[in-house]
Amino acid sequence: MTQQDTDSSNEARRKSAKRTALVVAVIAAAIFLLSILQMLKVK
Amino acid sequence: MAHAATHDHHDDHHGAPSNFFTRWFMSTNHKDIGTLYLVFSLLMFFIGGSFAMVIRAELFKPGLQLVQPYFFNEMTTMHALVMIFGAVMPAFVGLGNWMIPLMIGAPDMALPRMNNLSFWILPFAFALLLSTLFLPGGGPAGGWTMYPPLSLQGDSVAYVVFAVHLMGISSIMGAINIIATILNMRAPGMDLLKMPVFVWSWLITAFLLIAVMPVLAGAVTMLLTDKYFGTSFFNAAGGGDPVLFQHIFWFFGHPEVYIMILPAFGLVSEIIPTFARKPIFGYKAMVYAIASIAFLSFIVWAHHMFAVGLPLGGEIFFMYATMLIAVPTGVKVFNWVSTMWGGSMTFETPMLFAVAFVILFTIGGFSGLMLALAPADFQYHDSYFVVAHFHYVLVTGAIFAIIAGSYYWLPKWTGHMYSEFWGKVHFWNSVVWVNVLFFPQHFLGLAGMPRRIPDYNVAFANFNMISSIGGFLFGASQLIYVGVIIHAVWFSKKKAPDRVWEGAKGLEWTVPSPAPHHTFELPPVIHDDELAHGHVED
Repeated sequence: MTQQDTDSSNEARRKSAKRTALVVAVIAAAIFLLSILQMLKVK
Repeated sequence: MAHAATHDHHDDHHGAPSNFFTRWFMSTNHKDIGTLYLVFSLLMFFIGGSFAMVIRAELFKPGLQLVQPYFFNEMTTMHALVMIFGAVMPAFVGLGNWMIPLMIGAPDMALPRMNNLSFWILPFAFALLLSTLFLPGGGPAGGWTMYPPLSLQGDSVAYVVFAVHLMGISSIMGAINIIATILNMRAPGMDLLKMPVFVWSWLITAFLLIAVMPVLAGAVTMLLTDKYFGTSFFNAAGGGDPVLFQHIFWFFGHPEVYIMILPAFGLVSEIIPTFARKPIFGYKAMVYAIASIAFLSFIVWAHHMFAVGLPLGGEIFFMYATMLIAVPTGVKVFNWVSTMWGGSMTFETPMLFAVAFVILFTIGGFSGLMLALAPADFQYHDSYFVVAHFHYVLVTGAIFAIIAGSYYWLPKWTGHMYSEFWGKVHFWNSVVWVNVLFFPQHFLGLAGMPRRIPDYNVAFANFNMISSIGGFLFGASQLIYVGVIIHAVWFSKKKAPDRVWEGAKGLEWTVPSPAPHHTFELPPVIHDDELAHGHVED
């Protein structure tokens, strides 16, 4: 594997890692909000 | 395998910043951050342990001896919060940080700067939490479960809630990082079903963290708004329900128990094959068992609430669902035993702690089965039997596994062998005194002694005295552990080879000891027969 191959594969991995992190973070934030919102009984 | 990529860095800290502040406060290196987590968790282990010593000293004899009841309640609350969120969880994150990139052939964690932030939030969170002990009104004293209305009575609610928020944010960021690392940073050829069991256990644990830490954050936020903003989520007078908090809390709390034990399963699944010199028995079954336990952890929460007045159908559902957990757990225990069966076993310190884990964790599992039976739980509930049960699971389970893992990888981290003699002295003292500490608590609970009380009936005096003696000596035994670590890091003359243990397999043993600051900058080549679990059938 050449240095150029490694660099481009590292770049691709970094991008997909950021995407994974974003998706998981959104799920966590949604669970936090839903855990409170579903308990609300506003009259 | 992978030698070309790593063996040119024999300098101990090749590439590490020489400035102390830059290296440790601004680090983005997974090994340094792993070390920070491990040192922090050891510190918290001793702070939480000192609270336990106060508890056991007060309970040494019947009557109020040393501390006021409110302070005793603060100690039980803080002991749990510090041990769970400060000692056990950061220790596993530290081990994960250090070892996951090495085990999957990644150069670092996927999000190194977030990794730094995840760690550095923790000292502030615990400074905030521990500072409440010095408030005029005292710290939290309603138990780590924070049930309202009791937990809302002090003036420390906002501090505790903010500290829990910070710990939660730290854990969630840590979990995001681990998921992103494992899913995206594996070396070519390191398929999911070729990963070490420890990595699998952390991947599943990270998903548990993502699912339940926000729920805890939601629960304590509602506590905060009930206390300071006039809401009535858990206030019956305003149309709320205090039992609702228990449901939300335990929806977090039971998976939390597995967050603290699944990585321990992973650690033991690495150590036993090494010292039995055999691949792990039933690799795939081990992975599926961890996933099954994680799934079941979401549908058993109300077994903590049998005595609260659940409908009969609910009690029966949660009772059977809880008993179902014994199936995948049994698969794991039998697979560990089968791995040892017929192996060329040796009993170095990590293996001793791992074998003790299998035996003593199983005792904790059996008392858990007893507690799972709803009719029996009405007798055991809130008694010392529960205290004995969860300490067998968390001390001889989670903490023994952490200690086993630290002995196992210490030579890889430091480049020096620890003292095997003193490691064994530490082990035998720990295993004897931890049983003297916790086993009598089963009898106390069955005889009716309630938990979380500073005084008790004289009928419970003897077992309490035995338990306290065990507690003091178990606590003192951990000083040997610190001595062994200090010796290995700074004074040991015995150099560790790359493959520290004869039977050790996996990528982490292909890098030099101590592991260089940067590893696997070029991805390693994976050979199946070098993996800890051998060939996996498709």
